[in-house]
Amino acid sequence: MKDVFLDTILPGDEGLGLPSASAIAVVLVEWDQYAPVLDQLAIEAGGESFLALDAPSRLALVEKSRRKQARLANGVIVAALKAYYTHPQVLHALGAGAVPPFPDGNFLEDDDWSILEPVFERGPIWREVPA
Amino acid sequence: MERADVVVVGSGASGAAAAWALSRRPGLRVICLEQGERTDPAHYPATQIGWELRRQGDASFDPNIRQALGDYPIDNSDTPISLANFNGLGGGTILYSAHFPRFHPSDFRTRSLDGVGDDWPLTYHQLEPYFTQNEQMMGVAGLVGDPAYPEYQSLLPPVPLGPMGRKLAEGFNALGWHWWPSYAAINTRHHDGRAACANLGPCNTGCAQGAKGSVDVTYWPHALNQGVELRTGCSVQKLLMGDDGRVGGVRYVDADGGDHELAADFVVLAAGGAGTPRLLLNSASDRFPNGLANQSGLVGRNLMVHPLAYVEAVFDQDLRSSIGPHGCCLLSQNFYESDAARGFARGYTLHILRGAPPLETALGGFMTRRIPLGPGHHRAMAATFNRTAGIAVISEDLPDPANRIELDPDHRDRFGMPGVKVRYALGDNTKAMLAHGTEQARTVLEAAGGKVTLAFSPVRHSGWHVMGTTRMGDDPATSVVDRFGRAHGIDNLYVVDSSLFVTAGAVNPVATAQALTLYCCDHLAKRLGPSP
Repeated sequence: MKDVFLDTILPGDEGLGLPSASAIAVVLVEWDQYAPVLDQLAIEAGGESFLALDAPSRLALVEKSRRKQARLANGVIVAALKAYYTHPQVLHALGAGAVPPFPDGNFLEDDDWSILEPVFERGPIWREVPA
Repeated sequence: MERADVVVVGSGASGAAAAWALSRRPGLRVICLEQGERTDPAHYPATQIGWELRRQGDASFDPNIRQALGDYPIDNSDTPISLANFNGLGGGTILYSAHFPRFHPSDFRTRSLDGVGDDWPLTYHQLEPYFTQNEQMMGVAGLVGDPAYPEYQSLLPPVPLGPMGRKLAEGFNALGWHWWPSYAAINTRHHDGRAACANLGPCNTGCAQGAKGSVDVTYWPHALNQGVELRTGCSVQKLLMGDDGRVGGVRYVDADGGDHELAADFVVLAAGGAGTPRLLLNSASDRFPNGLANQSGLVGRNLMVHPLAYVEAVFDQDLRSSIGPHGCCLLSQNFYESDAARGFARGYTLHILRGAPPLETALGGFMTRRIPLGPGHHRAMAATFNRTAGIAVISEDLPDPANRIELDPDHRDRFGMPGVKVRYALGDNTKAMLAHGTEQARTVLEAAGGKVTLAFSPVRHSGWHVMGTTRMGDDPATSVVDRFGRAHGIDNLYVVDSSLFVTAGAVNPVATAQALTLYCCDHLAKRLGPSP
């Protein structure tokens, strides 16, 4: 069920080269408390369980859980986002630069400071202070 | 009892500069006590894939979250802006962004020029040689010739603008507004034995490259070579007053809880805008029931923190905006000097910030519902990440005695010393300034082609710039220390950090705080004996 939940909130996108969240190792603290909430909301909505719903309905249920159990639901989702957006495969696909930043760092080209000409032309703007 | 010629309390921006300046005179015993520990750049967050997570833990700017051995609790329940700091060798410079502009000449004369705040007992031009000396020591990048300042002598080449910075520059140019590449304490070339910046990005989690001018890699190696004794993990609890009206030394606790007394001819406080008044207030005794150097009642008062507004826009193009030193790109001082037509006194800096890194982008988008979960998530994320630019409006905070830091006996550090309670409210002038700055930030972002998606003030977690809590002045009734940082009534006690500030300016304070430190220590050094 956890993988289905993860793929509901963070499905893969082949075009962008991004994996689904279930494809990377994600530890969700409080998942054991949150999973029954999803099932209960599914039953209250006339379904059998979270897993029995189609993808759009599952996503709607996750959003509903954020309204009903905000702290718990948001906590689990944030944990998933944290794991996903600190995974090297995801960071490389996003174009996040060097992963990790040190030691390779990132290149930025030198600037052409003629772009400052209009600023020079205005002249000084700082305020003279009488001695 | 062990004895030093000078004890410096705190090893951050000002403590390091003081230790270096005072130890240039051979033969003096200078001891610096730092309550935090030494950090190891090899373990800074930027060395790890999950570096963003560390910001919410041991690399947090919030001591209440970080809870490191050298931290003390800060109660922010009575302020819209919570204080940030770092306690360890290098102090706040370990986690600062190294944005390093100077105060302006007008900042030292706000009462005379604009009828607000107070004039400082010194001028920009008196500080100018110390600004220059400090910039050499810290390794400051920038570009000379800025029309918003008197002439700088020399700087390292500026940090690169990157595509986002150039986009914003075009917006400023379209409006005919001032902008300039950031003044940054970042080595853009090899300098003073340190490597050049490699655009790691998260300067504000510590620079693993050693290119950022945090004082553990700038002043401290030189100070240690000059013989300064540095003791980390040593928390000063009280200043010890002698019967002669002079401070006799300090009482401190080492990392293992051992109590020590250290006698000193001079004591120099550089524990920061919260730590310095905390120590003075905690040094109360029967003779000084309100704390030391507090006959004016102003220790801890006139707290200023630079309230920020934040405006963010997203652009259609991939601007690689998350790449580069996060806090240093360009700034505008188009609205820095007073203009009565704006409806408020003094002014502000527009400080351009690079785009948020991946996790911050995703979490921010999730919380504000701009990046949905589900099938639309990745497209929305791709349309946001590396395409945002932020502007922080750094407003000049005016001094108000009601804004203050107090001891907080209900929350104590690990040795039982009270933490601090912050009592602070925004003034009407500041509110008007933030509203004006928010509109101008919005205007320039739109002129650059961006769509504004976020604008708010004040930014709660932005209280890095803690100033004014032991202000300097000539009149003991309205100031805590004199024009050289010497406590009124205690001839051998000095304060040399941003607590001294009479007004706040509208730029990051470290360049000015360190210049002031060098200025004050020049005075103290002359009292310590003849030059070598």
